[in-house]
Amino acid sequence: MMAPFYELGRFGDSTGLVIAVLLGIAFGWFLEQGGMGNARKLSGQFYLTDLSVLKLMFSAILTAMLGLFWLSWAGLLDLSRVYVPETFVAPQLVGGLVFGVGFVVGGLCPGTSCVAAATGRRDGFALIAGMLAGVFVFGEAFPVIGGFANSTARGAWTLPQALGLSHGTVVGIIVAAALGAFAGAEWLERRAERPARSTRVGV
Amino acid sequence: MTVDARRRPGVERGLAITAIVGGALAVVAGAPTRATRGNIDVSELARIVEHEEDHITAVELAKWIRDDKTGLRVMDIRSDTEFTDFHIPGATRVPLAEIARMRLDSAATYVLYSEGGTHAAQGWFLMRARGVRNVFFLRGGLYEWVEQIMNPHVASNTPQAQRDSIRALTMWFGGKMEVVDSTTTPSVLDRELSAPHSAATAESIRKIRRRAC
Repeated sequence: MMAPFYELGRFGDSTGLVIAVLLGIAFGWFLEQGGMGNARKLSGQFYLTDLSVLKLMFSAILTAMLGLFWLSWAGLLDLSRVYVPETFVAPQLVGGLVFGVGFVVGGLCPGTSCVAAATGRRDGFALIAGMLAGVFVFGEAFPVIGGFANSTARGAWTLPQALGLSHGTVVGIIVAAALGAFAGAEWLERRAERPARSTRVGV
Repeated sequence: MTVDARRRPGVERGLAITAIVGGALAVVAGAPTRATRGNIDVSELARIVEHEEDHITAVELAKWIRDDKTGLRVMDIRSDTEFTDFHIPGATRVPLAEIARMRLDSAATYVLYSEGGTHAAQGWFLMRARGVRNVFFLRGGLYEWVEQIMNPHVASNTPQAQRDSIRALTMWFGGKMEVVDSTTTPSVLDRELSAPHSAATAESIRKIRRRAC
């Protein structure tokens, strides 16, 4: 978030860390405000009863994507200086699956588990411990799985490159997909709400 | 639901419309930069370069200028001071970066030249990338121009008709042809420049020539 200023040398490491802490606190604060520290709300995603996470993620993606596109277009931002994480197709598919299973079981993702822990939720602490254990196991097992973890490397691979489309077309497609997802999510939530009234007593 | 109480349909609609407009305009804009992007057919260009259809010689250019070839646009891509010092008659100064922005005329024939020829050749690629088909560069640059047009040295055993045609072309541009003994090859540096030039022009030509060697 502060990358361009940091990279251009507007401030040093210590100022960068202070800003990172402030941004992190703000991030956690707004996640909690949005109910994202609540595992029940998050797992509602997978039972198609509460799609807040989907809407939140797509809102963040649209804001960042349109912001980056038009700031770059206006000449205010150099897109080539924005870090693009590298793609490793097969290991990231497997990693995504592991992550997803953990998300469904625990009801929190790494970021929201910290938010949950900060508000004193015990499941948040459990998930942080699990996350650290996972990092440790991965590090220790790296000599064995390192080959796989580095396989199918595609470098900094972006959707326009993968699809052979212009940046603008990809932006348009994602906006359409997001708005479709918003409408679909609202519809699912409305549908989930109606039978919920009668069953809530039993739960 | 508790969340519903906090929702503001007006804000949501506004955000959705912003996203739709931003996304639709992005499709039209295509690239997130306003940089000039060109397209080149690599194999076609390779063929053109291989068949030497990308450049012209100083004599060819001189004849085009003399014969007032329709749509000829001679572009000098050197610096402003170099251009003021000396340039090919009728040339306009166009910095390389300007190629990205300049308005193109599909009916024109563009000829690019630089001091040696490298920059003009690079400019040629930029022009091709912008879709210009009628574009050439002066192979040997200004060095070639000075040696072939402004101050050609013709061997004494050259046939009279050929000598006359070279002299006519040189004189048209205010240069001077010299006949040299076919048995000796004079050093380029030692040659004196012909009278029609001003002292400053003569000096700049001498400078160019010196750098060439």
